[in-house]
Amino acid sequence: MKHEPECNCNGKSRRRFISRRDLLFQAGGGISGIALAYLLGTDGLLGAPAAGPQACVGSAGVTDSPFLPKAPHFKARAKSVISLFMCGGVSHVDTFDYKPALTKYHGKPMEGKGEVLVRQGYPGPLMKSPYQFKQFGQSGKWVSELFPNISGIVDELAFIHSAQGRSADHTLSHYEWNTGSIIAGYPSMGAWLTYGLGSENQSLPAFVVIHDPRGGPFTGSAQWSSGFLPAAYQGTVFRSAGDPILDLHPSAGSLSPEQQRAELDELSRINQNYVEKHPGISELTARISSYELAFRMQGCAPEAINLDDESDETKRLYGLDNKVSEPFGRQCLMARRLVERGVRAVQLWNGAVVNQNVDTWDAHNSIVDNHGRHAPEVDKPIAGLITDLKRRGLLDETLVVWHSEFGRMPLSQKGIGRDHNPGALTVFMAGAGVKGGQSIGASDEFGYKAAEQIVTAHDLHASILYLMGIDHKRLTYYYNGRNMRLTDVAGELIPQIVA
Amino acid sequence: MHRKFSGAKVSAAVMMAILLLGILSIAALGQRSQAPDVSAILAKCQQCHGTAVQMSKLSVASRASLLQGGSHGPAIVPGNAAESLLYKRITGEEKPVMPMAPVPALTPQEIAAVKTWIDQGAAWPEEAKATPTPAGTQAADPSLLVYNGYQERKITDADRQWWSFKKPVRPAIPQGNDARWSKSPIDALVKAKLEEKQLTPARPADRSTLIRRAYLDLLGLLPSPAEVDAFVKDPAPRAYENLIDKLLASPHYGERWARLWLDVARYSDSTGYEYDYDVSEAWRYRDYVIKAFNENKPYNQFILEQLAGDELDKPTFDSLTATGFVRLGPRVLDRDLENPNYRFDYIDDIIRTTYQSFQALSVNCARCHDHKFDPITRKDYYKTIAIFNGFVEYDHPLVTQDDWSKYQKAADDINGKIRSLRQQVTGIEEPYRKERFQRILSTFPADIQEAYNTPEEKRTPGQKLLAAQVATVRGDEEQDFNTGGRALIKVSSEDDQARKKLLDQIDALTKQIPPRPPVAFGVRDGDFRFIPHPPFQPGSLGGIVYEKYGFTGKYLPQQGDRYEPPPTYFASNGLMPFPEEIKGPVVEPGFLTVLSKPGQQPFADPPKNGYPSSGRRRALAEAIASEENPLTARVMVNRIWYQHFGQGIVSTPNNFGKMGTQPSNPELLDWLATEFMQRGWDIKQMHRLIMNSETYKMASDYYLPANAEKDPTNQFLWRFPIKRLEAEIIRDAVLSASGDLNFQPGGKPFFPPVPEAVTSQVPTKGKWEKTQEDPSTWRRSVYAYVKRNMKYPMFEVFDQPDAALSCERREVTTVPTQALTLFNNEFFLLQAKHFAERVTREAGSDPAAQIKQVYRIAFSREPSARELQQSMEFLKKQAKSGGALAEFAHVIFNTNEFLYIN
Repeated sequence: MKHEPECNCNGKSRRRFISRRDLLFQAGGGISGIALAYLLGTDGLLGAPAAGPQACVGSAGVTDSPFLPKAPHFKARAKSVISLFMCGGVSHVDTFDYKPALTKYHGKPMEGKGEVLVRQGYPGPLMKSPYQFKQFGQSGKWVSELFPNISGIVDELAFIHSAQGRSADHTLSHYEWNTGSIIAGYPSMGAWLTYGLGSENQSLPAFVVIHDPRGGPFTGSAQWSSGFLPAAYQGTVFRSAGDPILDLHPSAGSLSPEQQRAELDELSRINQNYVEKHPGISELTARISSYELAFRMQGCAPEAINLDDESDETKRLYGLDNKVSEPFGRQCLMARRLVERGVRAVQLWNGAVVNQNVDTWDAHNSIVDNHGRHAPEVDKPIAGLITDLKRRGLLDETLVVWHSEFGRMPLSQKGIGRDHNPGALTVFMAGAGVKGGQSIGASDEFGYKAAEQIVTAHDLHASILYLMGIDHKRLTYYYNGRNMRLTDVAGELIPQIVA
Repeated sequence: MHRKFSGAKVSAAVMMAILLLGILSIAALGQRSQAPDVSAILAKCQQCHGTAVQMSKLSVASRASLLQGGSHGPAIVPGNAAESLLYKRITGEEKPVMPMAPVPALTPQEIAAVKTWIDQGAAWPEEAKATPTPAGTQAADPSLLVYNGYQERKITDADRQWWSFKKPVRPAIPQGNDARWSKSPIDALVKAKLEEKQLTPARPADRSTLIRRAYLDLLGLLPSPAEVDAFVKDPAPRAYENLIDKLLASPHYGERWARLWLDVARYSDSTGYEYDYDVSEAWRYRDYVIKAFNENKPYNQFILEQLAGDELDKPTFDSLTATGFVRLGPRVLDRDLENPNYRFDYIDDIIRTTYQSFQALSVNCARCHDHKFDPITRKDYYKTIAIFNGFVEYDHPLVTQDDWSKYQKAADDINGKIRSLRQQVTGIEEPYRKERFQRILSTFPADIQEAYNTPEEKRTPGQKLLAAQVATVRGDEEQDFNTGGRALIKVSSEDDQARKKLLDQIDALTKQIPPRPPVAFGVRDGDFRFIPHPPFQPGSLGGIVYEKYGFTGKYLPQQGDRYEPPPTYFASNGLMPFPEEIKGPVVEPGFLTVLSKPGQQPFADPPKNGYPSSGRRRALAEAIASEENPLTARVMVNRIWYQHFGQGIVSTPNNFGKMGTQPSNPELLDWLATEFMQRGWDIKQMHRLIMNSETYKMASDYYLPANAEKDPTNQFLWRFPIKRLEAEIIRDAVLSASGDLNFQPGGKPFFPPVPEAVTSQVPTKGKWEKTQEDPSTWRRSVYAYVKRNMKYPMFEVFDQPDAALSCERREVTTVPTQALTLFNNEFFLLQAKHFAERVTREAGSDPAAQIKQVYRIAFSREPSARELQQSMEFLKKQAKSGGALAEFAHVIFNTNEFLYIN
């Protein structure tokens, strides 16, 4: 393990935790939730070094939790996935899907595509991108000037230009790319992943969501819901200010660490009596160990997202030295720290619905005003994240997926904006051994509809699960009379991604 | 016949329109100068009414089939065109007029030709012109639907042999020789299974365990120490039975048991989806359910009211409120009119929830194909759509007709005055609006301005589209005026004052509008196709102007109106533009084929209550709430059993099909189901039977390695299974222990306090009121606001289900965030203090007395000597903190013994 044991092995935060040694002794031999070796090892008994196995990493000692690591169906390419969700709908034709035909036919009606329906009515003529495109990297990938930093790492990225959704509605499209269904109530991909694989870390939530500090995306927590899966698998929101998790600590002044410690000892004693009266019920011992885990989490969660000990160079890499890119830069750096600690799924959001046309990528009114605002927020942080993961040797075991709920129309809206376009959108992936520098599929000459190798949300999800070692057809949960899947009854692997 | 199959005429009319769809192409081929060839017309009609496809079961492929007609009777009466349905439709004598766009109306010559042909006896012109049957497409059984690659699967007697499709049979009760297990048929059947599996049952639980179990199980509250004492010492032989009777009579029983049904009914106070709007009257449905349980409404009546409370012979305010069941699913409520598929998704939600709730079947699996596992066809699915296709969302007034009319008249009068004042305001604003528009135009890019200023006829195609962009300028006008126009416009002070004066008058009038009388959030029948829509959004669903296609109807037909629900087209999911939709055959309403007797078509007679309604929902409800239905009673008794034991006889309460599990004790399930019906669908009686059984009264703290080896999950009930309290009941039990519980029953939901850090991150147009920990928020949890996009965090970590979908059973997970919540959340810390204060009030300052009182309140028992001594040590050790008792109380809230029913 590379990083230092910051969590519960220093004196400062030490007292917040129930002592494993006390627990062990008070529990007598009956406690099955915590393994002896773990307790001894991490507590420094038997002369083991206090630094020992990291208290904030791994699953050692936990024998009963919904998040225990489960074997994948086959060898996984990646252990963790980071989803970078750009809320509001990124214009593919102004970013990564270069369409010279828009310049050529600028101002002319789009012809030969049948009846064109746009979300807010009044389809305009074709509109060229306000941005210059140039080729970058060995792959010669065309990228617009909106992303000067991401253009520097295009050879790490696999672009999918033929993604296609089913709805022109923000919320329904959010659901589709997060849950596979455009109907509310289905489990999110992160929930499926943690249900299928558990987590490599029992001291942190298995599926962490960090949303834009300005606010949540469309429908908020419904996007990381556990749907009909057990509620434990829903994403846990890490707040960027104060305690990352709700109720991580007692409210100020209500309970001193000493009191907390004394209460936990007393609780453990009473609970142990109860377990002895009701043998053979694993749920009861799991409850006892859940307190242990909770109080490991008390130290581990703040530690996991505490950026203080990151070097200035690293902070600059993520754009923390710049006010515009700092918020998403912090989210990205937190994500790296979380996957480093074995968190299975992380979802970062850029875009908050509080002030929809401004704070999300929903560029109805002006591409330049809107994307010109958001691209600099995420450009450096995303490039920094991928660069940092790579130099730390983590990119091979981490899958990064950049996506949005839909693309935008090649047509003008009000002369300078663009309306929603579920017909074509661009997704890119990095890491997990996915071959970089490739462009998969294609939209038509204007970027109006996916034209070659259409990729649906089911296809994308199937491929992501594959990289995580899961056969999407075998990851099922019984609900409403059948074995449900993230990919419903569809989903084809994207050959270039899983190659 | 027409009366019986309501909707028949509309659907027949649609079919006629379709038959004529093909005319376009062939009419162009010529023959214009001569009388049109009738056979040419009829041949085209066979696209939809031929041998391959018979929409509405009508074929025009032969004279015989025309005479036989379709679902709506013979199409022709030879020799009498005026009496022929076909002729009535093409002339428009019967609405809607045929054909519908895009097919042009028939020429008078064509109509005349058809008339002449019928009047002259309808001789079949040339047999050869009938479209030959494409090989292999004809179904062996004409009752089965064949359409566009779909071939309906035949439901056979073999399909009806699945255990849950056969009526429950009263089992023989085994005669045991063990007196303890022979008093109740439940016990005899459970014991027989235990013997079969060689399992030894637990001893009976002691009385203090029983009373805590019964209180938490029936009321979700803790018994007071006095109640425990009285029961433990009660010498009456029927002490326990009396206790159960007392609890069943408590108003808190409904507050606890309604939650079970609210989970099944995906109850919520908000709409979900993007805006998650507040549903301000949803709580009336919640109160209806509580009342239904408290009043012990017979379960069959409960079904009828929820599905068809408006179609009963005598609807009541309660039964109208009950129809909220149909309406409670998630709603987008944004551009619903532009997205016709939304309505089909809403109906899908209704179908899914209805069949899961009452029949434990996943009928919605058959939306796109025949069910893969169960004998449910895609046609069955569309038959169910036809049942609900008439539904429209409706707020039923909960006052007399007279009072409602008075209110409406008063409101209309005032609104009329307001409208005329508004017009005056508009008059003042008009010139400014023009000016404002010019200013906004000047902010558009040059190419748009240029296009807009180019005369229309000179605009290039691209310029036409650019000019149209200006049309999207709307909104904000009101704000512009009120804020001085954000510098866009300057209103003269004279106009401004005149305008303000008018607005003041409007305000004053608005205040005079009498408050709206209470309404129920429900449904009734109507016709969604004629939903009122704003003028800038022509047409209803999908922008379709149904009137253009010859349909007529009313969104909300009134008493006395002839009502037919909108037709249901097979395989239509609302995603296609209308003319594509109606190529599918019309499907008539009906119950699932597998649950109907062969040939049975139960639907539907219009209700007799004077409402213009199809009666189809009532027919469905009656088919479900019938003693002939093999599923209904079994499904409900299994839910009751599940709640009592934390496990079902069938462990998949929403699925009794092939993908569900089979009953662990089929005889027991059938005995309960038959008993339930024999006793008039009496739910409280089922509680009595179950709770008075030895099975229920067994101890939970019992363990036998041999038992655990044979049945590790306690499936066959060799001991009472401990159960963790549900999220809401944990909270209620805490309040019940502290004495803070506010028993205010029913009414509007309360908002439990949630940190701003959580609420501020939830985008919504709905609501969440900021509150704090005080008696107004210490009501029972069933009254807490259920917001689809933001659960109360404590409920969320304790497995409260997603309110978007019907939930058959609560999961019990154990995760660290639960520990964090119980240990650190302000609510639990505060309540622990209050619990300690109560204990001090009741037990004084002696630590031993305090600890005993804590145990009595929280665990309904005395502490053992060892427990007392250990707890004393804790208090002593913590004495210096000053809050030792509160700390102890806080520990108690976190214990397994507190959080579990033992």
